[in-house]
Amino acid sequence: MKSRNYYIFALASVTYAIKAQSLLKSQGISCAVIRTPKELGKGCGYSIKFFSDAERAAKLLKENNIEIKASYPKLSAEGGEGS
Amino acid sequence: MIYLDNSATTYPKPQSVINALSYAVRELGANPGRSGHSMSVKAAKAVFEVREKAAAFFDAKPENVIFTSNCTHSLNTAIKGILKKGDHVITSSLEHNSVARPIFALQSEGVEVSVAPVYESDEQTKEAFERLIKKNTKAIVCTHASNVTGKLLPISSIARICREHGIAFIVDAAQTAGVIDVKLTDGVNVICTAGHKGLFGPMGTGLLITDGKFPIKPLTEGGTGNASLELSQPSELPEALESGTVNTPGIYALGKGLDFVSSLGTEKIYKHESKLCNILVSELEAIPEITLLRGEGSYAPIVSLNVNGVHSSEVAQYLSQKGVASRGGFHCAALTHGYLKTSDVGAVRLSPGVFTTERQIFTAAQMIKKFVKSQNTPL
Repeated sequence: MKSRNYYIFALASVTYAIKAQSLLKSQGISCAVIRTPKELGKGCGYSIKFFSDAERAAKLLKENNIEIKASYPKLSAEGGEGS
Repeated sequence: MIYLDNSATTYPKPQSVINALSYAVRELGANPGRSGHSMSVKAAKAVFEVREKAAAFFDAKPENVIFTSNCTHSLNTAIKGILKKGDHVITSSLEHNSVARPIFALQSEGVEVSVAPVYESDEQTKEAFERLIKKNTKAIVCTHASNVTGKLLPISSIARICREHGIAFIVDAAQTAGVIDVKLTDGVNVICTAGHKGLFGPMGTGLLITDGKFPIKPLTEGGTGNASLELSQPSELPEALESGTVNTPGIYALGKGLDFVSSLGTEKIYKHESKLCNILVSELEAIPEITLLRGEGSYAPIVSLNVNGVHSSEVAQYLSQKGVASRGGFHCAALTHGYLKTSDVGAVRLSPGVFTTERQIFTAAQMIKKFVKSQNTPL
């Protein structure tokens, strides 16, 4: 995770990862379901990885009650990219 | 064979369901929700799509659709996961053992149990439930339709009582899902059903659909594919209640069964099967030796009967020899047969399905008449 040209949202489970993927896809944000990298979660878990629209994606997930457990890069409280 | 045992499991299954089983074994062969490689994610997506279909069918959220191995598994999960020592639970006199046994098992662990009688009048039934509510009543658990007689319970009015008293309402929809609509929006908190009956999935599939208002403690803990380094069970649904690898081929095929039901529509299915039941009733009701276990009110498409004190297994055996598959015996329903006073002979249950024809029904009625005649012939 040296480069910053992608985003990862760690989610509660594979169900939420696929739900998030399907939701974002319907809104024009394509993403992949991946295993959560060790930096973002304890043990196994699922995340979505994508390359743009992080703020909009975070907002969409929040509106649909899909909790982002951790993210890369770290999100600010407003859901946008933090410092 | 004329198959009139659809209440036990629907047969035959649609071709799309049969094909789906084979497809899933070939193409969705990786463990869904355990790995990150493409076939695992493909399998997980296929499972999620069935959650979405079931969610649309029962007015639920997809993550609140739990896959189980059958309706009994769903009911045990809901009943034992919601009730605890000191709680009071009300059930009905028409329950299958899948409701009655877990409830009475909890009775020995300090859960108080009451059984509400089901009357011909829905109003009287509703009042019977309401009268039994106490301060510590935690849940009402009842069937949507008796698996012995098909008698429908007034679930909308029972749901209203539950809402007014803040009680959990758990419904056993084994005999109705796919035939008669039952949804969370009817006020039910937890719907438990089989996947292999009216929803046309394969055996080994079941569903627990929750609105999430009453947390359900898992019946089994174990691998969920998430938070693996924590020793406590994760709380997020559906994984919290789905420890262990799920039945991907069964679930995928169940999705095709749901498509089949949705394409026909439950109303059309109910109309067809009820018409067949009405034919059976009109063919048999005038025969003095036959007692039909039917009364006033609404019924799921089941016709149960007895022949003048003859044990039901004997009648079912005769019908089987004549090519008619029915179900004799006691239908895993101790409470019901006790209530109906049929604990001596049981009942012969005939349950047509979506593929049953009128001609088959007339033939089955003929066979029953023949049996009656054979009983009247002196040796």
